[in-house]
Amino acid sequence: MAFLNRADWYDLARATNWSPRYVSEDQLFPPEMSDRFGLSLEQWEAYDEPFKISYREYVDVQSRKDADAYSVRAALARSNFYDNADAGWQSILKLHFGALCLTEYSAVPGESKMARFGKAPGMRNMATFGALDEMRHTQIQLYFAHEFVSKSRQFDLAQKLLSTNSWAAIATRSAMDDTILGRDAATLSIMLTFALEQGFTNLQFLGLAADAARAGDFSFSNLISSVQTDEARHSQIGGATLKVLIANGKKEEAQRAVDISFWRQWRLFFTLTGPAIDYLTPLAHRDKSFKEFIQEFIVAQFERALVDLGLERPWYWDFFLKSIEFYHHSGHLEIWFVRQTVWWNPAAGVSAAERAWLEAKYPGWNAKWGRLWDVIADNVRHGRTDKLYPKTLPMLCNICGLSVGSIPHEGHSNRGYWTEFGMRRYYFCSEPCQWIFNLEPLRYQDHKSVIDRLLCGDIQPPDIEGTLRYFDLMPGERGEDAHDYAWAWPELALDPAAERPSQEAA
Amino acid sequence: MTQHENETDVLRPLKTWSHLAAARRRPSEYEIVSVKTLYNAVNLERPLELDSNVYMNRWLRDYRIDSPLKHPDWSGFRDPDELIYRTYTTLQNGHETYVDGLLDQHDEQDHDQGLGADWIETLATLYTPMRYLLHTLQMCSAYLVVVAPSSTIDNCAALQAADQYRWVSRVAYRTAELARHRPEGGFGHAERGHWENHPAWQGARELMEKLLIAYDWGEAFVGLNFVAKPAIDEGVLRPLAGAARRHGDTLLAFLIEAQLRDSERSRRWSSALVRYALAGDPANAAVILTWIEKWTPLATAATEAYCRALPDMPVAASEADEAVKAFHSSLGLHAIRTANRASP
Repeated sequence: MAFLNRADWYDLARATNWSPRYVSEDQLFPPEMSDRFGLSLEQWEAYDEPFKISYREYVDVQSRKDADAYSVRAALARSNFYDNADAGWQSILKLHFGALCLTEYSAVPGESKMARFGKAPGMRNMATFGALDEMRHTQIQLYFAHEFVSKSRQFDLAQKLLSTNSWAAIATRSAMDDTILGRDAATLSIMLTFALEQGFTNLQFLGLAADAARAGDFSFSNLISSVQTDEARHSQIGGATLKVLIANGKKEEAQRAVDISFWRQWRLFFTLTGPAIDYLTPLAHRDKSFKEFIQEFIVAQFERALVDLGLERPWYWDFFLKSIEFYHHSGHLEIWFVRQTVWWNPAAGVSAAERAWLEAKYPGWNAKWGRLWDVIADNVRHGRTDKLYPKTLPMLCNICGLSVGSIPHEGHSNRGYWTEFGMRRYYFCSEPCQWIFNLEPLRYQDHKSVIDRLLCGDIQPPDIEGTLRYFDLMPGERGEDAHDYAWAWPELALDPAAERPSQEAA
Repeated sequence: MTQHENETDVLRPLKTWSHLAAARRRPSEYEIVSVKTLYNAVNLERPLELDSNVYMNRWLRDYRIDSPLKHPDWSGFRDPDELIYRTYTTLQNGHETYVDGLLDQHDEQDHDQGLGADWIETLATLYTPMRYLLHTLQMCSAYLVVVAPSSTIDNCAALQAADQYRWVSRVAYRTAELARHRPEGGFGHAERGHWENHPAWQGARELMEKLLIAYDWGEAFVGLNFVAKPAIDEGVLRPLAGAARRHGDTLLAFLIEAQLRDSERSRRWSSALVRYALAGDPANAAVILTWIEKWTPLATAATEAYCRALPDMPVAASEADEAVKAFHSSLGLHAIRTANRASP
């Protein structure tokens, strides 16, 4: 055997830039599609992707990864794990697949935009694999989710969610479109691969995988760990972009791209992952708290990645650190309250033992959120059903599409942020979302939040049922309390450390 | 304690996704994981959840939604090979193992050392610079993924982009091998110069530079998969393989045959997509023919220039021309255009 090493020929495979003669460079690489930073083809030739893989290695490694993941699933398919799982865990599966299967697919045209319009050949090649990786993540997760469609109609949302106009779909599309396909190749390489994938996917895919393994869901744990191995590779596309930009005097612009995307992803991820890890995962199977995962995967690792590149922490870093303490607690309570608008059954996760855990992980939790849950529990016990459902929706941010939440019982610290632009006022959940809008108001000008749509008459009738139908969420898909309110009767509450029988299995 | 305990219209679990349930048959794995996964193809006015006039929303409206190539439901297209990611990597892993075997076997036989000096010069000017051409096909295929109107089309195009990179890599590999075994050939240094200046490549370069900025998705698809790629298969790769066999380069001939297997797959899905487009709207025949007629002169000039430079292949260009025409004839476009014009 006398094969060449990859290093012997790899540089030739990425020496593919040429000087166009029959069309102009700007026609071939329109700045709005390629590079709004304005670097030349020659400047981009210094781009050096740190993780190198050949096509030959790629199809070999990836086919073996798939063989592993599909065979674990096949081996465990008859284990009835799902039927016997706690309703909270069942909800995590519904939430995860609904939120992620098609979101992954947004990165297929996104990566392909880098593969076509990236000015660095190394970026174009790695993004060619990146597009395939994202196709894998869509397809393998859809396949695993499809196994459950006969268990609950809510699993249909794994396929359907992002073609609806539910608040979650709009918020997800908005974050993805603003940071992926709606950006030029250079910017999206930072926003998608550096800020989103290096910043946050560890949280969902490794944090949740740890909990899944402890919960005995080895099929899911193995699946999402396998997905993350691809992310670890192609998420390095953006770091190499940042090095080129910084070397060419574009540090300030590069920093702005990081700051915009990191905030947009954070707003989405605390909504998705925070409640899953701190409330929906059965207490006995929790590994770390959401805050501990954030501190490990983001505060430590992402901060180090920023420093290594010579970038600064985002300007709102202190507020970000503060928000780790409260965003997802308020978000979880709110989602539980508007649970009809989601496709999973939120577990309240506030039994006595769970509250003790929350208080230990987040000192002061009882005084802030516990007091609100006391009121809800009291309403449950007294059968005040009308008070367990919202009369309308909460105020939603004009950038992230998520609610304007805050810390209860802290002098009602909620404050409004708004910007007057054109003929109207835009409302924001936070200073960073307002900052994002103010940077480029035209980018968001005629986009309407769900609340705007209610006020403009797009949603008819403008009540909860009309809104749910506008969301394309029908009875059978809408969320309910995962444990049928058992947590509200402390004297009757089941031991939360034990597996609780699920409603669906029952 | 739910608000819908008395509702009778509660949706029940199905045996598959709701959008596939109406078909009343067991869906294939391909259908389960490939169909309707491109969410931004749904909202025609505002493909992206941003201001309706943001650059990329205008781009998608102009080049995807307003394309002259029309179909009421592009998501109904199916890849005839039903390839998904899992089967693609398995398939290509096997094919790459075969290519590894070719390289290993020929290296053991000191294949490169036995090639004649004239042929080494031909390889340096007409083979190793090909990575630039193949990379333009990779970029063009990737562009289709950015703008095509359904996930089942996107997936075919994304796999095609990867196929093209496969051969960029193998040409780079062979360039490094030749540089090692035949240092006198200048391999690994002169390719960009040949791609940018050698007369044999300028037609292909003009074709691909111009095709890379044909941003309408339908035109990009037809120009790439019905004009440029078939022309390069028939007027560059196949004649080069023929010349290689005449000069004792069996390795190159085998490699090109392996490469053409990927092209056959590209033609299968491309032909299926055209048939699907014609079934949806016969007026597409005229649109497709217009694009074929628009791009063919550049493609013909490209293959003629290349074949002229190839040794011992005097009729290669005309054979290539015939082969591409035969491929086009297989679609029956002229008859459909005529019938469509005649219909009231």
